[in-house]
Amino acid sequence: MKPSTIATALLGLVCSAFASSQRSTVKLPADFKPPQVFKNANLVHIISLEKNYVKEQVNVLIENTAAEPQEDYFLPFTADQLKRVGGFEVKDRKDGGAGPFTVDVVNYDSASSTQYYRIRLPAPLKSGGQQTLGITFYYLSAYRPLPASIPQEATQYLSYEFSPYAQSAYPTLKQKTEVKAASATIPDFTKVEGNGDVAEFPQKQGSKLTYGPFGEKPAGASLPASVRFEFNKPVTHISELERDIEVSHWGGNVAFEERYVLHHQGANLSSQFNRVKWAQSQYFNPASHALKEMRFPLQVGSVDTYFTDTIGNVSTSRFRSNKREALLELKPRYPIFGGWKYPFTIGWNSNAANFVRKTATGGFVFKAPFLEGPKQAEGVEYENINVRVLLPEGAENVKLLADVPESSIVETTVDVHKTYLDTIGRTAVTIKARNLVDEFKDRDLIIYYEVPSAMTLRKPLVIFASFLTVYAAAWAIGKVEVGFGQK
Amino acid sequence: MAVATQGASSGINSQNTRTLLRVSILFLIAAAAVASRLFSVIRFESIIHEFDPWFNFRATKYLVANGFYKFWDWFDDRTWHPLGRVTGGTLYPGLMVTSGVIYHALRALTVPVDIRNICVLLAPAFSGLTAYAAYLLTNEMTTSSSAGLLAAAFMGITPGYISRSVAGSYDNEAIAIFLLVFTFYLWIKALKLGSMLWGALCALFYGYMVASWGGYAFITCLLPLHAFVLIGMGRFSNRLYVSYTTWYALGTIASMQIPFVGFLPVKTSEHMPALGIFGLVQLVGLLQYVRSSMSAKQFKTFVITVLVGAVGIGLAGLVGLTSLGYIAPWSGRFYSLWDTGYAKIHIPIIASVSEHQPTAWPAFFFDLNMLIWLFPAGVYLLFQDLRDEHVFVVVYALFGSYFAGVMVRLMLTLTPIVCVSAAIAASQILDTYLSAKKPNPEEVTDAGSTDAKPAKTSGLRVSSKPAVGIFTFISKALVVGGMVVYLLMFVSHCTWVTSNAYSSPSVVLASRMPDGSQHIIDDYREAYQWLRQNTKEDAKIMSWWDYGYQIGGMADRPTLVDNNTWNNTHIATVGKAMSSSEEVSYPIMRQHEVDYVLVVFGGLLGYSGDDINKFLWMVRIAEGIWPEEVKERNFFTSRGEYRVDAEATDTMKNSLMYKMSYYNYHSLFPAGQTVDRVRGARLPDQGPVLNTIEEAYTTENWIIRIYKVKDLDNVGRDLAAAASFDRGQKKKASKKKGPRVLRVD
Repeated sequence: MKPSTIATALLGLVCSAFASSQRSTVKLPADFKPPQVFKNANLVHIISLEKNYVKEQVNVLIENTAAEPQEDYFLPFTADQLKRVGGFEVKDRKDGGAGPFTVDVVNYDSASSTQYYRIRLPAPLKSGGQQTLGITFYYLSAYRPLPASIPQEATQYLSYEFSPYAQSAYPTLKQKTEVKAASATIPDFTKVEGNGDVAEFPQKQGSKLTYGPFGEKPAGASLPASVRFEFNKPVTHISELERDIEVSHWGGNVAFEERYVLHHQGANLSSQFNRVKWAQSQYFNPASHALKEMRFPLQVGSVDTYFTDTIGNVSTSRFRSNKREALLELKPRYPIFGGWKYPFTIGWNSNAANFVRKTATGGFVFKAPFLEGPKQAEGVEYENINVRVLLPEGAENVKLLADVPESSIVETTVDVHKTYLDTIGRTAVTIKARNLVDEFKDRDLIIYYEVPSAMTLRKPLVIFASFLTVYAAAWAIGKVEVGFGQK
Repeated sequence: MAVATQGASSGINSQNTRTLLRVSILFLIAAAAVASRLFSVIRFESIIHEFDPWFNFRATKYLVANGFYKFWDWFDDRTWHPLGRVTGGTLYPGLMVTSGVIYHALRALTVPVDIRNICVLLAPAFSGLTAYAAYLLTNEMTTSSSAGLLAAAFMGITPGYISRSVAGSYDNEAIAIFLLVFTFYLWIKALKLGSMLWGALCALFYGYMVASWGGYAFITCLLPLHAFVLIGMGRFSNRLYVSYTTWYALGTIASMQIPFVGFLPVKTSEHMPALGIFGLVQLVGLLQYVRSSMSAKQFKTFVITVLVGAVGIGLAGLVGLTSLGYIAPWSGRFYSLWDTGYAKIHIPIIASVSEHQPTAWPAFFFDLNMLIWLFPAGVYLLFQDLRDEHVFVVVYALFGSYFAGVMVRLMLTLTPIVCVSAAIAASQILDTYLSAKKPNPEEVTDAGSTDAKPAKTSGLRVSSKPAVGIFTFISKALVVGGMVVYLLMFVSHCTWVTSNAYSSPSVVLASRMPDGSQHIIDDYREAYQWLRQNTKEDAKIMSWWDYGYQIGGMADRPTLVDNNTWNNTHIATVGKAMSSSEEVSYPIMRQHEVDYVLVVFGGLLGYSGDDINKFLWMVRIAEGIWPEEVKERNFFTSRGEYRVDAEATDTMKNSLMYKMSYYNYHSLFPAGQTVDRVRGARLPDQGPVLNTIEEAYTTENWIIRIYKVKDLDNVGRDLAAAASFDRGQKKKASKKKGPRVLRVD
């Protein structure tokens, strides 16, 4: 994309970014109930348990049953689910260019056990009209290890609770739920009564369980079910990620630093850690639910990587950099087992030319991934993300676009941060987000800003003037006669 | 460097050019001093070294986070569990406050610097200042233009000082040596000028020194000694009176502001010489005054009366107050300075520290190289022109040499004076032999005949002949060439020693891979980080006191004992727990609420600084308190050997330390090949059995092993029975040994 087109796109898109700096919520009266104006003509619910978070897709054909055109479709969650749900996106399955769906959290009665997301259709659906929605969202901290504590060399099993009837605020005529487990070893799953020619659900095909199709179910229908499957991989949960990006025009450099607080939410050790067994298992059987290593694919051209924790450098990292890749491989100080924790920091530098472009109008456009983070086969989930971009001193007219689901962004602010001999401070753009997973790794963060040229020269002038003052003062003090003896 | 100055000073006469040269040379020396201390940062990382610096670092972080007053009143309940430590009142705050001030100054300039980096780089930064202070001090001793610069260069790179001031060695000595040298400079200045201003400055820096390092007592004793020697030489003067009284009065008040010092300057014997000389100076001053207004005979009677009276009253007062307990007698640490065997018998905890051992003679050459033989020459040269300040150097040289011989760490106090004297000697040689002018034979005879000080030359006839110069170019070239070679060798020696001996952080170990690349062994931090992240916030860790500060600093967990060693009994308790059998240790650990026990074991890697090698000190310290229960003799075989293999004594094999070190170790090796690489011992195939604690974590190279103290059994069995049940042994098997009772020796 050309810088100028990015700029114009930005101007059109994000001028309202700071008007709604809080998490997008809609306030509704406390006795709110979703009006029964839709029905789900057909629904396919895909629950994917392949990663250490749960990805749920609800593909639903909705039909307006009311007389008037309708634009608000509500999706219910339990209060507990609402805290852990994130990355909520809606697409039109039939028509890719149907325009943006606005997604908000409904704020009506915080004590209620059922909470709602509101999906506003791009255009009101006329009476009797149909539209196919593809709704995707993720649950974090979704699993319970069962058994909760296992020996060091045993296999880890996770269990997940769900409902074979998809959650809906509207009656559903026909539906099917597919559960995709991480492996074909599924020792336990709930069986429900069959329908039609199938005696018993689910049907198991490899690692996939299929419940349904089911006939008509009323709004809010639910059936407790659970599945327990083998997952001998780490359940990595990042409770806190602080990502600092510092843009320097003078240095031609963009510095990244990321601070992670990493937890392993899998099965705990049933007895204490045994080094002998661990060393032996490294030879014979490397599969383990402990987290041994992480790989961070960085942007090509990244240099000066470091990996530290609270007590200094961790020497067990490797950085491989060439024209095609820049891969940072980290080994934590100790293997991380269930219930263990490991906070750490990584950082690197990169040439500003890779991230900052000058626009025709004299402004600058900064573009970087919103989230980088480790690339793990088992996935990584992030609970709190705090991205802070430090723009050059005196940057103004800041506009930004973060290409992650808007319902996941908690807050965006622009304030001032003073560092490295600043006099007025740098413009700091802070974006707080919640409940994202590593599937959003490659989404962009685009920031447009302007720096007046007087601001660029400000720092060298200030430093020059202060040194001049120091020398002048030293000279003047040297001239003062303090002694009273005869010379 | 000397060559450069010499050439410049003879060729260019402009004062400004010389000053510029001097300043730039001093800057280069400071840069060299800083740069030569950065080996460890470049090789490893910006990390705090060893043990004590970790406490200083932790205290600095506390100061920066909580402000000065909180720091002053800091009661630390995370050390010496369950006693705690009044940290704010039992430390020398100078170092932390200095870093704190630098930190806040940089923050005010919005330079976002990490407090850790300030702490790591403080010692190198101050070494640059020390070099400058040595330059000033030397300049007070001699008129030679090169001596000061040489002294600065020596001070900057001599290993004797670098040993305690490499980057990361964030200890009190980091700033104290600068303060020591600078205080001496100010003292000499005050004495020379008889100036109250310089005396007050001296007192100020003395106060700073007291705030920074326990070694301030060296100044407290050396300055009175100098004054005393001067008075004894009949050199009492008003200059001495003014400077000494100013220094003592203001300096003592300044030193009493430090809570840890408090009233010690008037209550302990170490500080009494300064007070006594203060009185003596008054007395001599009075006598001088009286002499001017009395006849000789009256004066004699007066002197005798006053002297006898004053000394008598003073001594009687001292003895009386000491016996009444108002003045503390000499402390054990002080006695160990006079009798090197004292500590080993009476205070094993002091003797167990390697830096408190007497110095081996090669250490002088190792730490000072050629300076050690230039040093006497320099002192000798000062005798030629024995002015007041030269007496100071002589006194300092004598005492510094003695103390450096008694204790390894006191090499540090000797180093500055060695640098000063050696620089005087070296510059004397260079000044004489580098002069480009050819001496005029007539001037020589002239100079010889006009020597009008026969009285002074009587003792030192040869040396006091005026310098005339060297005639032949060859002798000049030979001597100067030789000197240059020595100087170059000195530089390479210093670099080598610094790089090989003094730049290891000791928290991180380095080894070489087969392909020559560096491999870092980071077990300490692996264990500390594990403790910090995966144990509960207030889990108490029991370890030998060496690791207390590191656990506090890196693992952030409460410890039972640490390197502060203020409570010998508490340390002995830990020693007893480590050296007794499980049945005895377990109640001790329960009583002290111990959650984890940490031991250092080097057997797998061949790391010799481990706990089994320190074990005898634990036994000795425990024996000091419980001679009935812990006996050193029982840890030696009947042939008097300290063994860990199958021949080890039962007491040894049953001790908690032995069990923790070797628990599960045999399972790493094929049968019959279990080897302890430190002690070169082949261990039995049957490893020790632990009942009351369980292995919680062992690091990659087995250097640190952490054990969790088991809770009481759920169904009321004793832990030995519960453990043997878990192992699947029938009750009968354990019955065979008879009922377990507390061991009675």
